[in-house]
Amino acid sequence: MQALHFLQALARIARAAPKPAHSARTRQIRHAAYASMAHSSRSSRRTWSRALLHRLRQRQQQRPGRLLTVRRRVRIVTPITSRPEEPARAETLRQLVPGGRGMEYCNLLEETADYVQCLRAQVQLMQTLLDAFSS
Amino acid sequence: MSGSLNGNSASSGGGATGAGGDDFFDQMLSSLPSPWADLANPKSPWDLTTGANAPRSGEDCGGYDESALLASRLRQHQISGSGSPAGAKPMMLHQMLMSAAGRAPGGGAGAGAGGAGDPSGFFPLPLSLGRDDVEGAFKSPNGTGAEGLFNGYGGGLPGAAQANNQPPFHHAQQGAPMPAQNFGGAAPNAGAQAPAPAASGGGAAAPPRQRVRARRGQATDPHSIAERLRRERIAERMKALQELVPNANKTDKASMLDEIIDYVKFLQLQVKVLSMSRLGGAAAVAPLVANMSSEGQGGSNGAGGSDSSLTVTEQQVAKLMEEDMGSAMQYLQGKGLCLMPISLASAISSATCHPRASASHLGGGPAAAATHHLIPPGPQAQPNSNNHVNPDGPSSPNLSGLTAQSAMANGNADSHKDASSA
Repeated sequence: MQALHFLQALARIARAAPKPAHSARTRQIRHAAYASMAHSSRSSRRTWSRALLHRLRQRQQQRPGRLLTVRRRVRIVTPITSRPEEPARAETLRQLVPGGRGMEYCNLLEETADYVQCLRAQVQLMQTLLDAFSS
Repeated sequence: MSGSLNGNSASSGGGATGAGGDDFFDQMLSSLPSPWADLANPKSPWDLTTGANAPRSGEDCGGYDESALLASRLRQHQISGSGSPAGAKPMMLHQMLMSAAGRAPGGGAGAGAGGAGDPSGFFPLPLSLGRDDVEGAFKSPNGTGAEGLFNGYGGGLPGAAQANNQPPFHHAQQGAPMPAQNFGGAAPNAGAQAPAPAASGGGAAAPPRQRVRARRGQATDPHSIAERLRRERIAERMKALQELVPNANKTDKASMLDEIIDYVKFLQLQVKVLSMSRLGGAAAVAPLVANMSSEGQGGSNGAGGSDSSLTVTEQQVAKLMEEDMGSAMQYLQGKGLCLMPISLASAISSATCHPRASASHLGGGPAAAATHHLIPPGPQAQPNSNNHVNPDGPSSPNLSGLTAQSAMANGNADSHKDASSA
């Protein structure tokens, strides 16, 4: 499911944007990678996948160079995220995992596990494709 | 009275409340309602116990033993870490008085307690009835009103009774373990947990306002139980993460977190790097969009149409390949297809566990037909160039004797692995 989505996205990229802009192509591929991760059947129910998709769409909307500021939902999460029982690195983890700011520590760990799993699968997939096509 | 209380607080480690509270306490005690006075009667057993445990209990005023005991407990909890103001103690005493009078105070203890136990349910039994209950409920040697008091408190403190049953409470211990057990306290190993949860008991110390009978360091009130559950869940999740993340032999939770964070950063960086290096591959390969989607989802629907189109396409591709690989590739790209070695196709399909049974059947037909068309003399071999994923083809096609395919194998930069091996 993940691979299918990713390959489709790659196809779209290759067909739609033959412009040789290296950075743009890189960004698009990365975008496609994360989108396919978020769309995988295993993670569609997860908080991080929704947050990731949201973030991707935000970035996409920003791309055309709109001068409008992106409206971000400002949630007051300070009382939640700065629990005294959490270790000091929890904040870093929250920044890394998409959607990690609004979660409790317990859920954050669970989401991190799922996110790591999906990331690993995605990396493996990309590695396989790369090996297959560039040797 | 005040002196003894002061002694208690000093022994427990630094009276947080100080002498002022004692005076107030004295005032409260002096105005105890009748039930308390009844309880004041059975002095003798209490005197014995008090005498035995003079340094801790310090309840030399017989009738007021329980109240003093409660107050000392209260102060202990205060000291143990809640740091709540002395105002809570009079509040608690006030509660006691009110309950003794038969009224259930509501949430008064919640001020510092944080709602550990339902305050309204704290004093279900009038203190005057305590003694009767005691005889029946506990086989304790101290079957006195004090026991009844314990019972009353314990009934309202589900399991909280054990929470702070510290050795200092000597004479209380004789009765406290009973009520603690009776209340089905969820505190398993009270003694073992004494040192560690002392902090936790202090952490949840706002509730201990009412858990006077509870052993200190015992997490048995609902609040601490929830916390313990939470901690267990966190430990569980950490263990699961440990399995995922390599290099997870660190037992320290902090370093484990660091490892996890580093691993997540590493994976994200890998995605970034791979997306950069994939540019060459992405340009050369137009992934099998149309076919995969049609086969994967609507394969059965568009069976007839796709078959014919595939066949046509394949024939075209084969023709182009005979001439020039590049044009064949461009043709494919224009169609949104790609060439893919069978190994890769099988790898992808197995990696994603994508059900390709129907697709492969679809692919098998036209491909076989194309093969036949292309390579009449050769054995029935799956061509390396597949317009679609064909996982159930023979893994090692015999290409050497096939002119068309050898040309393809030479020029085909993409699909090489299986072909070159042959």
